Amino acid sequence: MGTATGIIKALNSGVKHLAVKRFTLRYPEQKLKLVGDGYQFDPATGVGIAGYKGRHMLFHDHCTGCNLCSIACEGVAEAIGMVKVPNTWKHNKKAIMPQIDYGKCVFCGLCVDACPFYALYMSNDYELSSFTKEGLIYTPQQLQVKPNVQQDAEIQIDDRGATHG
Amino acid sequence: MTEQIPTDQTKELPPGLQLEKVDDRIMTLNVGPQHPGSGHMRIIVRIDGDYIVDADPDPGYVHRGEEKMAEVRNYLLNIPHLERPVIHDSCNILYPYVLGVEDLVGIEVPERAKYVRVIAAELNRCVYTQYWLAIYGIFLGHSTMFMWPAGDRELMIDLLEKMTGARVTHSYFIPGGVRNDIPANFEDVCLRQVNYFEKRIKEYADIFYDNPILKARTEDTGVLSSQDAIRLGTTGSVLRASGIDYDVRVKEPYDVYEELDVHTNVLKDGDSYARSKIPWLDMLESCNIIRQALEKMPKSGSVRTKLKPNPKGVGNDEVYRRVESGRGAAGMHIISNGKPEPYRVKISPGSFRNLIALPYLLKGEKLGNMPAVYWSLNYWPVEADR
Ligand code: SF4
Ligand code: SF4
Repeated sequence: MGTATGIIKALNSGVKHLAVKRFTLRYPEQKLKLVGDGYQFDPATGVGIAGYKGRHMLFHDHCTGCNLCSIACEGVAEAIGMVKVPNTWKHNKKAIMPQIDYGKCVFCGLCVDACPFYALYMSNDYELSSFTKEGLIYTPQQLQVKPNVQQDAEIQIDDRGATHG
Repeated sequence: MTEQIPTDQTKELPPGLQLEKVDDRIMTLNVGPQHPGSGHMRIIVRIDGDYIVDADPDPGYVHRGEEKMAEVRNYLLNIPHLERPVIHDSCNILYPYVLGVEDLVGIEVPERAKYVRVIAAELNRCVYTQYWLAIYGIFLGHSTMFMWPAGDRELMIDLLEKMTGARVTHSYFIPGGVRNDIPANFEDVCLRQVNYFEKRIKEYADIFYDNPILKARTEDTGVLSSQDAIRLGTTGSVLRASGIDYDVRVKEPYDVYEELDVHTNVLKDGDSYARSKIPWLDMLESCNIIRQALEKMPKSGSVRTKLKPNPKGVGNDEVYRRVESGRGAAGMHIISNGKPEPYRVKISPGSFRNLIALPYLLKGEKLGNMPAVYWSLNYWPVEADR
């Protein structure tokens, strides 16, 4: 193939893209739809449930303050500290629950795997930026709140290329 | 009138403070470590005019002590940090560790998990190669070739995100299988996106691989003969671009690669062009492997053999396992002494093997060809530094 033909072919392949749809996701107007409600773990079978590994969800009615999540995280990022919570529960006499520092967490989900009482899950919320370091530390009360996420963009493929809907 | 400062010529200077002897012709140039064109590494190049007389790569700028860290964490908690050396290829760099621990503990992996791991590893190889290709394009001044792979990579990242729950650092493989089963409907979405991805990367031929400007830039630069490729101990795409048919997936198949039809791409020229083309051909091959694996995968079943949090029964033993990563053979040597933590984990990554060829390839090249040769080595500085 001659040099001129080669260059024309290369230019042409770029020009063809004028007719191709735009693939770029226009975040934050569009947000990618994630699988399920976040990563969960079933201690009975020992297998996780597929989902996005985002900010954690803590279920106060399940957490016994057993410390296992914090022990797991000690070998990973030391992001979990156990703190006092105001109300005591029958299943949580010590009234301690995990508090997670998202300045350190690497979202590996091994703390979720470690929890034997279905108390710690992960959610689809990934927008955690904060102006202060303290703002990244989530107390058990904050972790209890179910995130309100609106994510609906999905990759769609047709003859004119792929888009995010 | 400037006053001459008397100098004591006889005084011994301590080592490290000695002045370099100045040569009028030869100039020493430090490329990196913060220069984007060198990765996180310094290359000390000595040039005579425009020609490189000597190049000395100086890795270690992003050394993280992964091997030492692995000695104080138990076998499971080693997973998140051991994939940090190559976050874009995190499944493949973790693969030898997981295989090794399985050998040490002696657990069987369910059949379905093996297929899921192969699919994840091949998707990850595409993600890494696309990233590398984007960098290779931009350092050759081809900005379209930066945009396209960076965009199309999203198709594969999306699949991995559905599978593993994370876009880059997946922490997905675990001794005994994988951490979670793939979501419902994943097979259809995967097949659709992989087919489209394949169609897209085939379009790179016109704009990049058959482009006369790229060929003029990379052909016959940095030629590595097949003897030298073996003598220097290179692996992966560098070795296969020099005409040696070697792929760990075929020669020492692990998991279910034995049952899949894996074609090894080999080119004979050994120049930068061949080295940049092999990873692209490998991506097309990865698409084939993913399709085969999706077809043959058992439709249901367990994906993880349960392992106690601190695997007991690890005796005094050692194991070396390796896999074909995006940059060549990646191996891990794990020594255990019966404790919950490994005694030693030695990571042997492909990047470090390939870097050794750089001084030989750059000698006699023009300085302007340095990015074309350096990035064609498929080198990832962080992986080499561990
Ligand atoms: S996800 Fe990983 S790093 Fe984050 S808190 Fe849990 S164990 Fe620690
Ligand atoms: S979240 Fe789970 S592992 Fe952590 S303290 Fe509560 S019950 Fe224990």
